[in-house]
Amino acid sequence: MHQAALLGGLIQDASHYGWEVAHPIPHNWQKMAEAVQNHVKSLNWGHRVQLHDRKVKYFNIKASFVNEHTVRGLTKAGKETLLSAEHIVIATGGRPKYPVHVDGALEYGITSDDIFWLKESPGKTLVVGASYVALECAGFLSGVGLDTTVMMRSIPLRGFDQQMASLVTEHMASHGIEFLQGCTPLRVGRLLDGRLQVTWQEHASGKEDSGTFDTVLWAIGRVPETRGLNLEKAGVRINPDSQKIVVNAKEATSIPHIYAIGDVVEGRPELTPTAIMAGKLLARRLFGGSSALMEYDSVPTTVFTPLEYGCVGLSEEEAITRHGQEHVEVYHSHYKPLEFTVPAREAAQCYIKMVCLREPPQLVLGLHFLGPNAGEVTQGFALGIKCGASYEQIRRTVGIHPTCAEEVPRLHISKRSGLDPTVTGC
Amino acid sequence: MAQRLLLRRFLASVIPRKPPQSRWAPLTSGALQIPQGPPGGPAAAARSPAQTIHTSRACATTFNVQDGPDFQDRVVNSETPVVVDFHAQWCGPCKILGPRLEKAVAKQHGKVLMAKVDIDDHTDLAIEYEVSAVPTVLAIKNGDVVDKFVGIKDEDQLEAFLKKLIG
Repeated sequence: MHQAALLGGLIQDASHYGWEVAHPIPHNWQKMAEAVQNHVKSLNWGHRVQLHDRKVKYFNIKASFVNEHTVRGLTKAGKETLLSAEHIVIATGGRPKYPVHVDGALEYGITSDDIFWLKESPGKTLVVGASYVALECAGFLSGVGLDTTVMMRSIPLRGFDQQMASLVTEHMASHGIEFLQGCTPLRVGRLLDGRLQVTWQEHASGKEDSGTFDTVLWAIGRVPETRGLNLEKAGVRINPDSQKIVVNAKEATSIPHIYAIGDVVEGRPELTPTAIMAGKLLARRLFGGSSALMEYDSVPTTVFTPLEYGCVGLSEEEAITRHGQEHVEVYHSHYKPLEFTVPAREAAQCYIKMVCLREPPQLVLGLHFLGPNAGEVTQGFALGIKCGASYEQIRRTVGIHPTCAEEVPRLHISKRSGLDPTVTGC
Repeated sequence: MAQRLLLRRFLASVIPRKPPQSRWAPLTSGALQIPQGPPGGPAAAARSPAQTIHTSRACATTFNVQDGPDFQDRVVNSETPVVVDFHAQWCGPCKILGPRLEKAVAKQHGKVLMAKVDIDDHTDLAIEYEVSAVPTVLAIKNGDVVDKFVGIKDEDQLEAFLKKLIG
């Protein structure tokens, strides 16, 4: 759906490049949703086929622990199945959270689980939350032409570099997304015409306000799927605050033969690729004679907001906390993607920064890239950073022209120098 | 696999079967009403003069499989050979092959039937019959898989496939 939204923008740009595109171009939600849903179904089928080919027995039932070696499942028809195993891996992930203290939240709101399966367009939407899920959803909803508002309690993209996070939201705001910052929803009710009325409170003033929407999307965080597992029967320990399973570096829980990977685990990045790799390495340790452990540092990721944000390594604030301001050097630059020039697109938020140690050879601690195709750009540099690249080595990497990525090895203005990072001539 | 099918057919034959007509659900594309009354099997029902035929294309020779027992009943235990079209919503080629196969089957005037299985609705069944890519078409005679093809075929190829099945 992010791609659908981006295409809308590209269609607008196309006329500047000579394409005689009729305006305005309407967007058909049903057609897009069906295409997305079909793709997901084809992926699900593919997984079933692969499991079957690898002789993995697949039981479509909800299970819970009976004891540390036995799991019990009930089919929808109520039939009981018992399975016992030498090794057990828990990978139940998480689910979107609904706010508990907001009247009507459950009845009238939806979550990211639902947004891709809506048969009808969600219309004017209020997204509550400031997570990457909230911002990505708000981004593509707005991108396909829907009136979109984001309500957040405090800061956007908690855990990410905050300077980058505000550039992301600044870009979204300049593209028509309304932001209600420092606000918390109080209640949701249905009006006579079927639309939803949301009442919220602004913290700073204490004032209440309300608005009318067609859809309310809760993106306020996720809860791990541990409640229904009867983990106590197996003796598996969880963190009481987060409800997540506690594991060691080998992904083993408090019970040596029970393992856990993915979003259900305490202290791990909630990312699919890390869970997949952790699972593969675990399988190799259990059955392949390997001793390689999963490395959770320098994991690259990208937030697919209208202007994408890719990052790997430490945020600027994390680097300063760990090493002290005097030992950190940050190189930065604004830039203008070539593809923005002809259609005269705003590039004020296109920005890159590299956080390094100050001492030579200036080890790169983190890279932050805000711009088109951020995922593609970040993936390549992640290898360098994982291998311990230095600022010097990156500087000596010849750029590919014309790309946005070549601006990374071109970074030469430090924050410390106070020089203007918008002027980046040779 | 053939042995497993034989065993299932044997077990199924031990359980009393309902006559096929009473269980046929109305088709999406046609609205031929099948009389409840005298037996005769699919061919007789299709030629019943008493009912109004709304469309003539697929008629009673094509049906959508409802569930596992339905498949057992109408495909595995069918006296008439059946071609099973495993398809999916998200599969482009399936949308071409489906109608083409239905037409070819209809031309055989009831000597062969066609069962349609949506693999997202009936994943376990599809996996059991070793379907991996779609469209996959199985030819089932007396409960055994006697022929199979994957992907699109043209009208001549389909006719040859069906003729071989009918024998």
